[in-house]
Amino acid sequence: MEILIIGTVRGALYSLIAVGFVLIFSVGGILNLAHGTYYMLGAYLTYIFYTFVFGAGGIDLLLISVVFSVLSVGMIACLVYYILLRPHIQSLLYVMVMTLALALFVGEIMSLLFGVSGTSVPSLIEGSMSIGGINVINQQLILIPITAVILPALWVFLKKTKMGQGVDAVAQQRTGAILVGVSVETATLITSALSASLAALAGALIAPVSSVVPEMWLFPLIKAFAIAILGGIGSLVGSIIASFVVGYAEILGSFLISEQLTELVALVVIILVLVFKPSGIMGYKLR
Amino acid sequence: MSLLEISNLTKTFGGLRALERISLTVKSGEILGIIGPNGAGKTTLFNCITGFLPFDSGSVLFDGHNIQGKKPYQIVNLGLTRTWQLLKPFFGMRVMEAMMVPSFSKRARSSRLSKEEEKENIAGILQDMGLTKHLWLEVDNLSQGELKLLDILRAFVTRPKILLLDEPFSGLSHQEIEKISRVIRKLNNQGLTVVIIEHRLRELMKLVQKVVVINFGNKIAEGTPEQVVREPKVIEAYLGKRGR
Amino acid sequence: MNLLKRLAPLTRNQSPFGLILLIAMALFPFLSDNIFYLEVIKLAAIYAIFTMSWDVLTGYTHEVNFGFAFFIGGAGYLSGIVTSHLSVSPYLAIPVAALAAGVSGIFIGYLTLRLKGPYFAMATLAFASILFKLSFILYGITGGEEGISGLEAFTDDPTKDFFVVWGVMVAVYLSLCLYARSKHGIILKAIRADEDATQSAGINTAYYKIEAFAISGFMAGIGGGVFAHSQMHIGPTMLSGYLSVIVVLLAMIGGMGTIVGPLLGAICLSIVNESLRIVEEYRIIIYTGLLILFIYLAPDGLVNLKFIKGSKVLSFIFLGDRKST
Repeated sequence: MEILIIGTVRGALYSLIAVGFVLIFSVGGILNLAHGTYYMLGAYLTYIFYTFVFGAGGIDLLLISVVFSVLSVGMIACLVYYILLRPHIQSLLYVMVMTLALALFVGEIMSLLFGVSGTSVPSLIEGSMSIGGINVINQQLILIPITAVILPALWVFLKKTKMGQGVDAVAQQRTGAILVGVSVETATLITSALSASLAALAGALIAPVSSVVPEMWLFPLIKAFAIAILGGIGSLVGSIIASFVVGYAEILGSFLISEQLTELVALVVIILVLVFKPSGIMGYKLR
Repeated sequence: MSLLEISNLTKTFGGLRALERISLTVKSGEILGIIGPNGAGKTTLFNCITGFLPFDSGSVLFDGHNIQGKKPYQIVNLGLTRTWQLLKPFFGMRVMEAMMVPSFSKRARSSRLSKEEEKENIAGILQDMGLTKHLWLEVDNLSQGELKLLDILRAFVTRPKILLLDEPFSGLSHQEIEKISRVIRKLNNQGLTVVIIEHRLRELMKLVQKVVVINFGNKIAEGTPEQVVREPKVIEAYLGKRGR
Repeated sequence: MNLLKRLAPLTRNQSPFGLILLIAMALFPFLSDNIFYLEVIKLAAIYAIFTMSWDVLTGYTHEVNFGFAFFIGGAGYLSGIVTSHLSVSPYLAIPVAALAAGVSGIFIGYLTLRLKGPYFAMATLAFASILFKLSFILYGITGGEEGISGLEAFTDDPTKDFFVVWGVMVAVYLSLCLYARSKHGIILKAIRADEDATQSAGINTAYYKIEAFAISGFMAGIGGGVFAHSQMHIGPTMLSGYLSVIVVLLAMIGGMGTIVGPLLGAICLSIVNESLRIVEEYRIIIYTGLLILFIYLAPDGLVNLKFIKGSKVLSFIFLGDRKST
């Protein structure tokens, strides 16, 4: 039972992160290795806004901090795209290296500002709940309803709104979209903001119950990358499914075998998937 | 003596029959033209017989070898070379380097005597085509027409027995087409068999001895240029029923 | 023979700048007594081996190897384990370890043949991560987080050690230059431009891709082994993603696909890194920031800058390009 709940929480968390990662790749062709950094910034910026701007007021100010943090990260992502990535966006190597260098850079800045030991962020919802005899932390639980609202909202945005449909078109059939008059640059700009905001939200939400350290950008990035490959780099639904699969598998793994071995197994699985079925479980082949 | 025997070649993409039991024979020393409307399956045919696309049924015998399942480079080393419809220049390399790539193939290596002689040979070919001044230029600097010529010239370097040209004249000026046609004729006189897919019918018909017409994956006509041009099915394929 | 004169043999296009750099490094011990600086240049030389080996694969095929630490750390550990447990001399252990790295290069190269772009990068990263994890799981042999210390050095004297490393670096440089300017390099560049067209030219592209992987791995293995024995210690940092990334950055900033570029990148940036020690607290931030700036301004690398490639004089000095006409 515990596995089910924690696995679902993990899956929800991962899906917020992975969906953004896959989206910006489908739309902008950007393999954003700074994606984990946006996640990290979500956590750190919430802390910064709450502590320094709002003077650690009450829960409602904490909520506003989260919102501000998410919005700021969205804007940062837009700037990164517009200034740093756009000039050489055709080169995958450039994008990968530049975003990775940025990730290292921001990580170092956080290390300088906040030190190597963790920073603590207060929870939005204190305490814990008992479900089926298991004690679950509330802060973790809220991920589930929030994700359950956001992902469908994203779907509605992509399929029903004009702006979203433009983004969707670019993701699916770039040339076609251009021919119909959709601006790829605008779509990529919007998606950068969206993608980063999702990651930042995840980071902000999980911050109170997870370690907020300057290296916290690395693992979410690797997980997002792995999930993208497993679920298929072109498919959003695939990545959502894969997020939950990975979430449950991780928990199961750490129960049955050690945590280290689970990660090892995960890596081997990734290689096997890459070698034998590069398009992932549901994805499209790389253009 | 037939160099290339294609029997009942069929290729399907999902629900689409791209090639429907195509059979054709190419005799050694021939210059054969393959024509047909866009989307007829001509390039698909080339892709199947050069190992770039697996085919569903039928057989392809080249020089007595069954080439099914062979990798493209292996087929080239047997003596069957092709060019591509869309330019495939070696960007980021110098012209001389690009021209030398095919000389590293097993086939070219087994026939030439020394690296220096090969380089001279290549330089000679380039000189014939008037490209000598470009020898050490980066490929990126050449014009469309020159890149096209380069693609074709690279094919010669593999010392093929049979050369498949996919729309060699597209994008070239009349003089350039004349140049290429002359070289093709010269090489054909020396024993090279040539198969050409083309849309520029007037220039093509001057060059070829036999023509095969493909439409919707089917061979609809075969014969000399004069015969084929008068075939009702062929006229219909190009101009529609009213063309009759 | 006008034509022959134009066809300058490709194997003889040495970069004068590269040679000058190598000689300058050799002269350094004679000009300065400072052991500390000597160690810095020695480390720079080792990093140069890493970056040049990386360049042989990624610079010439444009498939990004993001897990290069696999070969470096893998061979380093192998050499370390063999010398400490089996009392074998490093002069034997390092080539053996490098050979193992080369063979695994064949293996990985084969598995990743059909992968492109991000998939290839991810696969190489995954392999490196597996080795990284193993170094912790098998802590009995690998010493876990601590690594293995007290490894045998090459000689008893830091200066002699430096020359050993320098010698290896020069050997790697010259052999990689030879390889890159030979038909192997040309074929790799052709594959990079268009693999289909290269196949159409009768070339077994799979073979050459795997070969490049193996050579890249072997050379990196040499570098890894040399590193382990010159620092007398090997630890998980040599298998870390951070090392892989640094190698990529240094090679890119120097200039991919040239062998000279990564040499330059490694040496210059290692020196820059050291000179920033005066502001130790901000060193890494400034260093990383500089790297970002460099990549932004010169994404193809310093040696590949348009104004160098465009100028006949400069392209000869840096790249050894002799353009007739």
